[in-house]
Amino acid sequence: MSMTASLALTVPELILSVGALLLLLVAAFGGDGFARAIGWGAVALFAAAGFALTGPAGNGGPGFDGLYIADSFAAFAKLLIYIAAAVSVAVAPGFFARTGGGYRAEYPVLILLSGVGMGMMVSAGDLLTLYVGLELQSLSAYVLASFLRRDTRSAEAGLKYFVLGALASGILLYGISLLYGFTGTTLFAGISDSLAKGMGTGQMFGMVFVFAGLAFKISAVPFHMWTPDVYEGAPTPVTAFFASAPKVAGMALLLRVAIEAMGSGTDAWRQIVVFAALASTILGAVAAIGQTSMKRLLAYSSINNVGFALFGLAAGSAEGVAATMTYMAVYIAMTLGSFICVLQMRDRDGQPVETIASLSGLSRSRPGLAAAFAIFMFSLAGIPPLFGFWPKFLVFDALVRAGFWPLAMVGIATSVIGAFYYLKIVKTIYFDDPAPTPFAPAASKLEGGLITLAALAVSPLGYLAIPLLDATSMAAARALF
Amino acid sequence: MIGLQHYLVVSAILFVMGVFGIFLNRKNVIIILMAIELILLSVNINLVAFSAYLGDLVGQVFAMFVLTVAAGEAAIGLAILVIYFRGRGTIAVDDINRMKG
Amino acid sequence: MASVAAGYLPILLFLGVALVLSSAFVFLPMLVGRLTGTHQPNPEKLAEYECGFPAFEDSRAQFDVRFYLIAILFIIFDLEAAFLYPWAVSLGGIGFVGWLSMMIFLVELAVGFIYAWKKGALEWE
Repeated sequence: MSMTASLALTVPELILSVGALLLLLVAAFGGDGFARAIGWGAVALFAAAGFALTGPAGNGGPGFDGLYIADSFAAFAKLLIYIAAAVSVAVAPGFFARTGGGYRAEYPVLILLSGVGMGMMVSAGDLLTLYVGLELQSLSAYVLASFLRRDTRSAEAGLKYFVLGALASGILLYGISLLYGFTGTTLFAGISDSLAKGMGTGQMFGMVFVFAGLAFKISAVPFHMWTPDVYEGAPTPVTAFFASAPKVAGMALLLRVAIEAMGSGTDAWRQIVVFAALASTILGAVAAIGQTSMKRLLAYSSINNVGFALFGLAAGSAEGVAATMTYMAVYIAMTLGSFICVLQMRDRDGQPVETIASLSGLSRSRPGLAAAFAIFMFSLAGIPPLFGFWPKFLVFDALVRAGFWPLAMVGIATSVIGAFYYLKIVKTIYFDDPAPTPFAPAASKLEGGLITLAALAVSPLGYLAIPLLDATSMAAARALF
Repeated sequence: MIGLQHYLVVSAILFVMGVFGIFLNRKNVIIILMAIELILLSVNINLVAFSAYLGDLVGQVFAMFVLTVAAGEAAIGLAILVIYFRGRGTIAVDDINRMKG
Repeated sequence: MASVAAGYLPILLFLGVALVLSSAFVFLPMLVGRLTGTHQPNPEKLAEYECGFPAFEDSRAQFDVRFYLIAILFIIFDLEAAFLYPWAVSLGGIGFVGWLSMMIFLVELAVGFIYAWKKGALEWE
């Protein structure tokens, strides 16, 4: 394939990276006065990159001698990533303005660069592309976590994220070096061929290290320890970003590595995935019960949800992969909605409030916000009339079809434990006495609109989208097999 | 004769030292940065050794990328450390405890 | 094990030669200085060369954060140059596309440099 044809496959990444560089120059010469304009420019770039997926970038197959793959799986994941990233750019200026400034033009640029990295991750066809994409995403994320320079909690979140993230990249990289050495190639297709001839000890070690590194990036147990601290310390729009886009990218990358590069070793990695899925759902549910901070609670909720999404991969079938992708699609609507609701939690001075206790009696002071919170909590718990139930059903359906019904039973049992703490929040909002200091009134039409949109998507109306969601996620999953 | 396995053993020892350097060190975050660098360099030894053994250049190209990413990582780590120090006045590992749970 | 040790013999020899030569370079000038009578230490001569810190003081002393900033910028721009060497060696084989790729890479580095410059990261005061 010629260079120009290969480049045509990477149009979304080209748009984002060239745009990010131009906006960086605008930021350097224009200063922070242009910060809001740069933010809208970044949203427009994400829209343009999403639109570019309709071209060869959406379904063009492998390019650059197999280093980069632009298939419908990558396109599906990229669409979710761009939506989540654009939302976290759009809600940021309001947050920073209310909490005493600190919004700088670098914020949208960093999210754009992170978007380029995530695009590379989901389109990786080679361990080198995987590594470079992952690092571009991670390095931007470390800076974003410590974006509020004067806030010691933000700096501490950045430091913790950096140290543990760098350790995870090191572990992943060690696994990559072993895989390269014992299979003789870094191309996913070549690794798959080599593993089909039998898995030796070296390959096994390499695979385990790679899975450990990737499990960190999606914060699956036992590599979840950074999540609550980083989510609590980082500024809320950044937390919303961490909980959505990089999760989708990490999950898509894990699916691609597991199926495309190690598909012939499914029996070897299935044990790891099953363990991580069970441990994540159980720990995410149990550890969340005693939390008092809403952001920490949502961190455990994200660990819990990643566990459920991993059940789809454990099935190892095309249905399972499609279920996991559907799960991620519904998950970003739920999680972005919840975090924009958390953005509304602030006192009269505009300072953010994070305790769950401050939510009590919200149904009387802010009935609309209370209803939105309730919808997201019920949906995260997977309670049937809401759309959050559907991907959980698909995941367990795929497990049963693949013959793992005992695992499906255990998974359903853990989702009942998880429902407990979500319902506790709904109880606080609707049945407790009102908190002494009510929240400041809604300030932004944009945030209100986004909450409404997300709430509608996860409401029972979401079931109307099932045919479309099923068709695209199945097409995406088939691209891997 | 020094063969592939010697390089792999050295690299594995360095890797384990790096990991322990992160977890056992209680004094200073700078030491953690050095431990991370040690991990990445142990990977580079692996990559270059495999590359020479297999007669395949990909490993050396990979090592170049690891080097540059390691540089970027060190730069960002130092930058975060500087803003952390400005806020807290300390970089002792035991003091990084504003959030617990 | 004996064969392994034998494999390292050249390195041992190399280290020995290096040690002898380097100590010769350190001590010979001192010896010559004393013999020829040019050995006249004074505070200016004993001060740190050109810039930097006093060499002997508490190793836990803190130094200026601005040094870190320079170090950070140096690491990045220094190591990106590592790509230039293999590129220059193989330029004949990789053609116009290879040349163009490196030019794009350098433009990206230049954008980063302009950004650092405009933000005042290169100014000492």
